Amino acid sequence: MLFSGQVTVVSDDAVVVQALPIGGSRLPQNPTVERISGIPGVSTVTPVLFVASVGTQSLSQFVPVNFTMGIPVNDWELVLGPVPLKGNGHLPANDSSSEIVAGASMADQYNWTVGTEILVNGYTLHVSGVFDTKMALLNRCLVMPLTLAQDIYNYPHSVNIIAVKPVPDMPQQNLTSAIKGRIDHVNALTETQRNDIVQPILDEVQTWTIGIEAVVFIISLILVMTVTVMSVSERRRDFATLDAMGAPASYVFRVVIVETFLVGVLGGVIGIAFGSLTAIVLASLYTSIPVALFFPSILEIVPPVYMLEIFAAIVGVCCLGGIIPAINAMRMRIAEILRAEY
Amino acid sequence: MRIRTVELTRSFRVGSSEITAVKAVNLEINEPRLVAIIGPSGSGKSTLLNLIGLNDYPTSGQILIDGADASQLPGRERRRIRNKRMGFVFQTFNLFPTLNALENVELPMSLANKSQREQQEKAMKLLETVGLRHRSNHRPKQLSMGEMQRVAIARALANQPDIIIADEPTGELDSKTAKEIISLLQGINEREKTTVVVATHDEKIIDAADMVYTMQDGRLKAED
Repeated sequence: MLFSGQVTVVSDDAVVVQALPIGGSRLPQNPTVERISGIPGVSTVTPVLFVASVGTQSLSQFVPVNFTMGIPVNDWELVLGPVPLKGNGHLPANDSSSEIVAGASMADQYNWTVGTEILVNGYTLHVSGVFDTKMALLNRCLVMPLTLAQDIYNYPHSVNIIAVKPVPDMPQQNLTSAIKGRIDHVNALTETQRNDIVQPILDEVQTWTIGIEAVVFIISLILVMTVTVMSVSERRRDFATLDAMGAPASYVFRVVIVETFLVGVLGGVIGIAFGSLTAIVLASLYTSIPVALFFPSILEIVPPVYMLEIFAAIVGVCCLGGIIPAINAMRMRIAEILRAEY
Repeated sequence: MRIRTVELTRSFRVGSSEITAVKAVNLEINEPRLVAIIGPSGSGKSTLLNLIGLNDYPTSGQILIDGADASQLPGRERRRIRNKRMGFVFQTFNLFPTLNALENVELPMSLANKSQREQQEKAMKLLETVGLRHRSNHRPKQLSMGEMQRVAIARALANQPDIIIADEPTGELDSKTAKEIISLLQGINEREKTTVVVATHDEKIIDAADMVYTMQDGRLKAED
């Protein structure tokens, strides 16, 4: 988790999603960092320049694909947590003007390895390492020394996040009040506040998701029921024959329910496979990241627990949708059906 | 199995009017016989067979099976009798298209909870009786009409019923195949001592029958 246990300071007109700022016209400058360092209760201060680049290769691509973070190299572990590198990679020197570390997904996509030269905004950079982590953001991130990022993206002496670690026993809330009281045009947020900002959005999304799920559930139930009613109706002669042969009502009920159960199992497997594939293809279309790169992490995109939940829901809907047709099949008046035959 | 009907009547409500398909029918079958019921379409033959086969409830009158009134038996008891003591043969065969010939014949035995081995042995024997042992793995779609009706007859015999109720069993067949089916039913009646009640238009069955009844406007009349 980025900035874990730290207060973040951003421009007071920036929108913060989780820990990352969007927009903001008055970016904190280097002197601000020094002033925060002087506030009592501050243990460490890490300036970060975070740049989200929105791809322009395709009109469908309106979400950021790649990110850049400029962080003083000595503070990388403080901000990113432990970040092992693949193979023979190494961290750049703090004052390096060309070395960067790339996310594994980017490296795979563009065939970068340690030593590869890349061109960003007219700057020739060298890949000194590739992250070996499962953190999604880092996998699509170029991380470089802060000064290099400021040069490349033309933010001289500016940052857009300042991560502040309080001394032990210093409540984050007190620290944010102190920062806001002493420094103008900044907003200081505790971890809880950062989460609280997006919580209403997440709650809203969840409400809509539940609503959509309920509608899909009802529509699926009606569809399964309609199809099964039609199927039973088409085979009324078979059910009448079974009845004439003395099949118990429970047997006829079981036949229909087992059928809908099997349809559910088959539909569930096909649906989950197709749904997962569609999720990957859509993600690939939106991000221009090749589909093949998503496959290794398919279980992270569609977690197994989620697959199981969906599978159980599909089978449940099918069994439930089969109940009324099964009762209909049980209650068929065989004499009428058989008479219609002759 | 002794079957007797007493003033058996079945009416249907069609819109605001009431149609009586079977009117006060008295019929008695005491010995294993081949009984033919003839009559024009709509005369009530099939309705009578459905009543005798306990597939339908009479509006009034009684069906006595071995002297006991079966006309108002609950569904569960009727199913038990249909499964263990009756066999049905339909004009359109009514075989299950997803099952092969052997499985179709096994089905009534499976419903009677017989062991898998017993089902298979008996079904093979029955298919041999109707001359279709070599077609046991074929699905109905792969069989001719005559073969399908033979499988249906084998299925009707699966639980060694006392009575076979056949409604127009030769209705879909050419005359040569119809003749074979008739002689098969005749043979079953003679060898197995099984009563066979057939509703038919087929003159050949009438010639082979021990007893012939005529159905006209819901009324049953014995032929001389």
